[in-house]
Amino acid sequence: MGELEQAVLEALWDLDGTDAGRPGVSGRAVHDRLQGRDGRDLAYTTVMTVLDRLARKDVVVRERDGRAFRYAPRLTRAAMTAELMHEALEGTRDDREQALVSFVGEASAEDLAALRRALDDLA
Amino acid sequence: MPTPVVLGALAVLLAGPVPWVLSRWTDLRRTPAAAMLLWQSTALAAVLAALGAGLSLVTERLWEDPAGPGDVLVAGLAGSVTVVVLARLLLSGHRTGTSLRRMRRLHRERVDLVAQVDGGVSVVEHDVPVAYCVPGMSGSRIVVSRSTLTRLSPAELGAVLEHERSHLRARHDLVLEAFTVLHRAFPRWVASRAAREEVEVLVEVLADRAAVRHVDRRAMLSALLALAGSSAPLGALGSAGSLAARAEVLRVGRPHPLQAALVALLAALLLAVPTVLVVLPWLTGLG
Repeated sequence: MGELEQAVLEALWDLDGTDAGRPGVSGRAVHDRLQGRDGRDLAYTTVMTVLDRLARKDVVVRERDGRAFRYAPRLTRAAMTAELMHEALEGTRDDREQALVSFVGEASAEDLAALRRALDDLA
Repeated sequence: MPTPVVLGALAVLLAGPVPWVLSRWTDLRRTPAAAMLLWQSTALAAVLAALGAGLSLVTERLWEDPAGPGDVLVAGLAGSVTVVVLARLLLSGHRTGTSLRRMRRLHRERVDLVAQVDGGVSVVEHDVPVAYCVPGMSGSRIVVSRSTLTRLSPAELGAVLEHERSHLRARHDLVLEAFTVLHRAFPRWVASRAAREEVEVLVEVLADRAAVRHVDRRAMLSALLALAGSSAPLGALGSAGSLAARAEVLRVGRPHPLQAALVALLAALLLAVPTVLVVLPWLTGLG
């Protein structure tokens, strides 16, 4: 399911803005885009299920368009990645909760000097 | 001496002066596993002593025959304080646990949407070098950015990944969570910040130690240097010195079995002695 969600989101990133300047695309367009790619045989309803899941995860925004919905990614791929990296770096400074455990936190000049000394010692 | 006084004094000692001393005893980091045990037993003993002091005061007054109005009042007050302490702990545990799990789930979901998985590692396209793990019962992830992959040699990358795997294997997040719970429950009148900060250093030292059983110590040090040196220094907050501590432990590398044994013994005594000398006689006295 994870792989399919990634494929659907990527299709949205590729297609967003291609529809005559209107934001978002229809579920049908996403299905057409994915159908047949990498030997995939996808049911239209599967694509719709995945789009709804992505909307529930707040990764995709859904807007009513007549009887159907139009779907658009909430953030561009770059913005979403940046948001994640921000959380990862912020997490190391958070003073109350540590949701993510980073390999290195902030480094002071003394920290760097101590690392260099230790490396020289072991050389 | 009456039980409530002894336990109360013990609770105060374990909540303030003991963590203060332990956080300044930097040699403890040479035996990180035993040190972690000592921190955990200090925290547990402090909580138990505080609860025990309240409860024993209640029983001491109410088991009096006949219990006067003064006794009932004191017992009532002691009982309420005990309940408040316990409630704060439980509430803090619930809040912290819920919010951590939520933050991790949301982060993991989005990582899975943008990352390419390569050999069990989620690789994110970004030019800031980062390496971290998202702990979790079933869905833990190790995440690195593309820039980390290009900056590190294969040996250095191996060290980083081994370090993160050891965090996840040993469930270091649970230890950190427990001390966060304690700190949020009693942020002021307990030296819980010092405890939490030191425990944070210790889990890093432990993960480094576990990793260098499989990889070269120099690879670990140069990976630390490569990743630490490249992230932008953010203000004056960064003098925590946890990296310097890790560098020192990696540099020396030698085990200290005697210190480890003594510290572990101290940890055990901290829990056992009050139980045997104070709590057991009190409980037997109730029957």
